[in-house]
Amino acid sequence: MNYNLSGEVRLEESTLIRHAANGDAAAWEPLILAHQEAVFRLAYLILGDPDDAADIAQEAFLRAWNHIKRFDPTRPLRPWLLSIVANLARNRHRSAGRYVATLTRAFRNEPAPANIEEKSAQHIQARELWKAVQSLSMPDQQIVYLRYFLDLSVMETSEILQVAEGTVKSRLSRALERLRGIIQQEFPVLAESREGHDA
Amino acid sequence: MNELEQELFEKRLISIATGLDYPRTPDIARAVMTRLRPLTRPRFISRRLAWSLTIILILFSSLMLIPPARAAIIEFIQIGIVRIFRGTPTPPPLPNAGPPSTMIPLTATSGPTSQSLIPILESLAGEMSLEEAQQTVDFPILLPSSPPDLGNPERIFVQEADGKMAILVWIDDQQPERISMSLHFIPHGSWAIDKVEPTLIQETEVNDQRAIWTVGPYPLRLYNGDIEFMRLIDGHVLIWVDGDVTYRLETDLPLEEAVKIAESLEPIR
Repeated sequence: MNYNLSGEVRLEESTLIRHAANGDAAAWEPLILAHQEAVFRLAYLILGDPDDAADIAQEAFLRAWNHIKRFDPTRPLRPWLLSIVANLARNRHRSAGRYVATLTRAFRNEPAPANIEEKSAQHIQARELWKAVQSLSMPDQQIVYLRYFLDLSVMETSEILQVAEGTVKSRLSRALERLRGIIQQEFPVLAESREGHDA
Repeated sequence: MNELEQELFEKRLISIATGLDYPRTPDIARAVMTRLRPLTRPRFISRRLAWSLTIILILFSSLMLIPPARAAIIEFIQIGIVRIFRGTPTPPPLPNAGPPSTMIPLTATSGPTSQSLIPILESLAGEMSLEEAQQTVDFPILLPSSPPDLGNPERIFVQEADGKMAILVWIDDQQPERISMSLHFIPHGSWAIDKVEPTLIQETEVNDQRAIWTVGPYPLRLYNGDIEFMRLIDGHVLIWVDGDVTYRLETDLPLEEAVKIAESLEPIR
């Protein structure tokens, strides 16, 4: 069952949030378990490194815990968590510490995060698309990750970015124009398959 | 890009993006809870504060003896990864309320059931030998040495979904369509279990450690990320914790015998 789309689960989530707001740490754990994957994945998409993503995901849940009393328990938790993790990940992405960490990793001679040769064509395409998205500005990247990689609705994306749904649509439209340009120029594999698909 | 082109492009993006192979999500819950626990515990307690706390605890304990007060104060009891809700805060839907994503069909029943559980057992994934199960999980699989004639479990399953849970099943010799006992090993930080309003909840001990005894019927929900199992428990369940593993023993035996079985667990020889 998807925790975020089911009315019944959302009701239970609100009960757990109320317990957590009263200082009950035990109630926070199932909420982390329910949302940790989405939180980790968004951090990973923005940062590109699983260790950094795990750090940021932890930090996001700790921050959320510290401010849970101010959260309205009738609202779904996921957009709020994703908004926190997006902010933290963006800051980490900008920080000098991350730059140094990236350089350090580059010299470790680690294998590529995924063994591309052994991956299916679908995985390769997805990696190429991710690379293409990384060429966009951070705000464009973020909206693309939320909407297409995490497959969130326009409404949920608007809650996370704290902008109107109309703004999400217009930003998406502009980001898609830019992404299409990048794909056509630098990622012909994706462009060819797109044309094939369109045909 | 016109509207149609954008729509096609969006569909294409979603279709490609779903193929991205993310790294396995680490156990963030455990890491966060480890960091939270020291923060939620006071580091220094003065003698005066300690006395105040003692008095408050005595008052609280007295209130606990009065059933209505107890019901109001305790909304759920936690043991290991299991939470037992006493009230009806938000009961999960019963299994017949809609098609569950999966079923764990291991219920020890005290009487004949209208539906044999064995066919459902046949469809449960992750069946393996005891030795394979021990190699698959990171925690020791223990077997009861009491009662002496119990023998090894007939069926062994390891349910894997971002955390491995081992399930041992003993079939009733006299009624092979019936499960006589099952034992779940659930490592912390992976699965979580909610029970709602068991008929009876009783505190007891296994190896001098706190344990909980519950009696059905009650709905039970096991969940782990997007995976969820729903069951209606109609038997007795003993729950206790040892190290990082929560144990659930489902049986139709009385409490004393269940505790004896729990305390007789030994590593596989």
